[in-house]
Amino acid sequence: MASTRSSAPLKRTRTPKAVRLGLLYVGLWAAFIWCVFPFYWMIATSLRAKDEIFARPPSILPHSITFQNYVDLLIGAEFWRFAMNSLILTISVTAISVLLAVTAGYAMARHKFKGSVMLPLFMLYGQMFPPVLLLIPFYIQLRFLGWLDSLYGLIPVYLSYMLPLCVWLMRGFFAQVPHSLEDAARLDGCTRWQAFWRVILPMARPGIVAVATWVMIHTWNEFLYASTFILSDKNRTLPLGLSGLIGQYTTDWGMLMAGGVITAAPILLVFFFLQKHLVSGVGGGAVKG
Amino acid sequence: MTTRTRETTRLKPHWSSIFENGTGARLYPYLMVMPAILIAIGVVVYPVLSGITSAFHDVTLRTLNSGDMPFIGLRNFERVFADPNFVLASLNTLVWVVLNVVAQLGFGLALALLLHRIVPGIGFFRSGILVPWVVPSVVAVLTWRWMYDPSVGIVNEILVRLGVIDAYHPWLGDTATALYAVTVESIWKGTPFVMLLLLAALQLVPKSILEAASMDGASGWRKLWHVILPQIRVSFAIAAVLTFILTVNNFNAIWLMTEGGPLNSSEILFTLAYKYGFQRFDLGMASAVATMLFVGLVIATTLYLKLIQAKEAD
Repeated sequence: MASTRSSAPLKRTRTPKAVRLGLLYVGLWAAFIWCVFPFYWMIATSLRAKDEIFARPPSILPHSITFQNYVDLLIGAEFWRFAMNSLILTISVTAISVLLAVTAGYAMARHKFKGSVMLPLFMLYGQMFPPVLLLIPFYIQLRFLGWLDSLYGLIPVYLSYMLPLCVWLMRGFFAQVPHSLEDAARLDGCTRWQAFWRVILPMARPGIVAVATWVMIHTWNEFLYASTFILSDKNRTLPLGLSGLIGQYTTDWGMLMAGGVITAAPILLVFFFLQKHLVSGVGGGAVKG
Repeated sequence: MTTRTRETTRLKPHWSSIFENGTGARLYPYLMVMPAILIAIGVVVYPVLSGITSAFHDVTLRTLNSGDMPFIGLRNFERVFADPNFVLASLNTLVWVVLNVVAQLGFGLALALLLHRIVPGIGFFRSGILVPWVVPSVVAVLTWRWMYDPSVGIVNEILVRLGVIDAYHPWLGDTATALYAVTVESIWKGTPFVMLLLLAALQLVPKSILEAASMDGASGWRKLWHVILPQIRVSFAIAAVLTFILTVNNFNAIWLMTEGGPLNSSEILFTLAYKYGFQRFDLGMASAVATMLFVGLVIATTLYLKLIQAKEAD
């Protein structure tokens, strides 16, 4: 009895530990492959020659690699126009939302005034509205103003989607900057504005970067509003242009996947460099508030 | 730096010094909030109110052109309820939401528990598993559509080689499988975000509690059920509400893969409203469906905010 008691815990902890670690890695690899495979498949398809793309059965590894799909895509003026439209839209929406969110978020985090408790909640509600409910009034309004099928008409539409969450997130970041810093600056003779501009703003820079990146990514990717309000080819954004490559009967999947890679590339680059800020900013912001 | 600041303010009053005292100081926060509020009223409050209003008016292309959109009470809702596709879309929405929320929370929790362990190479696995979250939605959906291709799709090939099916199947073209095939993509896309939220919560679980549980001889499952889950339950509930909201609002997956077809078999309320609005141009009926969705989401959002407040109080 005594001998089993002393040897049993040793056995129970030693062997299963290796087994458990092995199982852990099996699970990790399974999850990794499940998550990454579609992305791999897009890249692999974009690098295949046309006849290989439609070969049956499909092979996991490409037999030969060609950049023909990318050349075909980038040679057309269409692609560049779509990319330019997306870029103009992304820069405008990001600049406006960040500017407004910084001032509003700061005031909400720092000052007590009528509505300083209600407003942030109201902003969060704004983020949860079903886009389909906004789609219809926006369509009626844009049509009335003659802004349907206009790139600039999309700016207010996108602000409805971006601004509330930006304000909410910025307020969260400003709330984390210690009060004492601002008080010290004020004692040093700074005006309110100077204290904000020279002391608080630099401290909140990581938050500003996270919010700006969030807006950039979402504007760059937006599909629903653009596909409803943009009617002519010349005003299409990149995601719209991409979906336009789907044909009714035949689709050039090689070119489409190349377009997918190019559309995703800037996002992946941004994500790669700002991973830490983004993950804590968006993931944390969603539960911390 | 500080001395320079001091001098400039002493010698020459900065323009912003009008906000230092009296009325100016009281106005200052309002001035900073005002631009964002005005724009939010213009682009959120007004459109939402006018969207709800259109649900009770006859808004079609004809009435829009004449500028006279008569009030018709609940007629739009009656017309929506009379449409057999509305019943189908409601049932599909239920299936779509339940499958997405359950699977994303289940897989998300499993992934978070896997990735929580600090083992060699964990950073590599963590960034790989975030890939679906980072890839733009349109790109992801189109890639899956290509993978589901009925004649050369890799999904078919893999399933045939694994012996799950014995012939290629048109997953998106079959009324029996279309909704589920889209759901698989949406689970793939949504799970990493749930994982991220739960991983953040797991990292806040005090190590001492876990160690105490191990010392008491708690097995893995019991530790999960009695120690870990109660600790992260608020984050878990927040993830559930967020997943619910994001799933109801997910348009791209269904629209770009099936447009609600074949034969409305993958129609959800969102795509139905879209079709009423922008294929039939009956914006009144579309608003009626959107208003019903809105009420459901307001309830979910209220719940979400309550949970966040509960978390802050913890």
